Amino acid sequence: MQRRDFFKKLGTVAAVSAVMPAMSFAGGAKPVSPNKMDYNTAVNTITGGKTPKPSKKVKLKVPEIAENGAVVPVTVTVDSPMTESNYVKAIHILTGKNSNARTIDVYLTPANGKAMFSTRIKLGGTQKVTALVELSNGEFLTASQSVKVTIGGCG
Amino acid sequence: MKTGIKIALSVAMLASLSYGGEQFAMSDADRAMYAEMSENNPADIMVADGEELLGYMGGDEGLAKYLGVSEDDLPAYIAGFPRYIKKFDMVVGIDQVIQAMMADGGHKPLKLKSGNMFAMVAYVKSIANGEKINIDVTANKQMKEAYALGLKTYMTKRGGRGLSCNSCHAPAVVGRILRTQPLPDLGANGAKAAATWPAYRMTKSSLRTLQRRFQGCMKNALLKVIPLGSKQMVALEVYLTNKAKGAEISIPGLKR
Amino acid sequence: MQKRKSLIKIKPKRYKNGEIVKVSFMVMHPMHTGMAKDKKTKKIIPAKYINSVKFIYNGKEITSMKVWESLSVNPVFTTYMKINGKGKLTVKYTDNTGEAHEKTKKIKPKG
Repeated sequence: MQRRDFFKKLGTVAAVSAVMPAMSFAGGAKPVSPNKMDYNTAVNTITGGKTPKPSKKVKLKVPEIAENGAVVPVTVTVDSPMTESNYVKAIHILTGKNSNARTIDVYLTPANGKAMFSTRIKLGGTQKVTALVELSNGEFLTASQSVKVTIGGCG
Repeated sequence: MKTGIKIALSVAMLASLSYGGEQFAMSDADRAMYAEMSENNPADIMVADGEELLGYMGGDEGLAKYLGVSEDDLPAYIAGFPRYIKKFDMVVGIDQVIQAMMADGGHKPLKLKSGNMFAMVAYVKSIANGEKINIDVTANKQMKEAYALGLKTYMTKRGGRGLSCNSCHAPAVVGRILRTQPLPDLGANGAKAAATWPAYRMTKSSLRTLQRRFQGCMKNALLKVIPLGSKQMVALEVYLTNKAKGAEISIPGLKR
Repeated sequence: MQKRKSLIKIKPKRYKNGEIVKVSFMVMHPMHTGMAKDKKTKKIIPAKYINSVKFIYNGKEITSMKVWESLSVNPVFTTYMKINGKGKLTVKYTDNTGEAHEKTKKIKPKG
């Protein structure tokens, strides 16, 4: 881009740092997600009615206390050889109390090499986070942990 | 409001601060997790942006030339900001240097408060990543004055609650909980804040500079906000940066 | 269409064939849930969020994701991938308002 164009562009470069109102349940009627779905319905939808089993093979890493509910790191690791005959098909990350219990559905393949997924999610308040894992043999495994969300601080 | 009442108020407020219960303590595992998060700091994208923007003005080479240093010496030079620059006859921060460079190049300078400016400041400071902060507050008369003004500003009680920066950030109050968060010690020598700002602020989902952070804090403490780039604000930055002298610069930071 | 700023990171930076590396995709996006009010206008900000992400390595889709509105602003997506030859990794993503973008990174194994 020419220098001239850059400076012309100055006025229109996207203001990506626009004020982001925090997701909160405070004050007035509780807003509803356009994709509203509670935790149990989400689990049933994903497993097709099968009951998932808590398993130590699924390692869920979330903070016990989240400094900020808008940015909570989540990492799910599953002990799996990730071969064509035995791999993790999907990792679903669910929340206990968000209006839409689903945060992300990740479909892996053996080409991933290892079964792991990490991201950052929004939590509307203290609640349980669950990793729901689907294996290539049709089994569903889970791991859960509660996250305490503190909202506060100055500035 | 009479000064006497102001000070009484602040004492009362501080007395009501409790020491953090375990309920708000973040475990080491939690802290490690947040530290891992900075591996993928959204601000990395903004720093790359800042690099692109500086590129239109000659990049690192152009900046070094403008400052009158060699490109090799640039990282260590950046690690000494805010500095007294003869050309402007003022103690200035990186943002003001960028503005001057833009103006001298015949362009309308970006506002100090703009996202693009923060991105450029972050990129320029990141040139000094790995360097130790080497600000010299005794370098000359102007730096000495700036340091003295910064200290004074930090200690002056003002505003509706009669608070100074020191009211909440002094060693004696460190660790106490205010608005669910433990107060960081900015008064101690070696308080490294300046080495990790500009930083991505999770609560604002954006990249912010240290001075901008001061403004947010002032607002909450009911202190009249000091303008970015003003003599007092630069002085405050000098004072705080000196506290971090010797700390390794790591930009962009990641903060609540 | 407005371009979005994004970044693909591979760790470690130097890798060999057969190695399993960490790959992260970061993108600037407001991820509006459709539930929050604009502080100034007091009106609900309409939902606008990334709803799908695909990782395509040398033409083969190795990972796909269905994304919901409760991912954090400026989201990051990190997983692993097995290095299997020179070429490129393309990340394709869409949002619920119809935006569609892609970002590519060269894959250059050493040895």
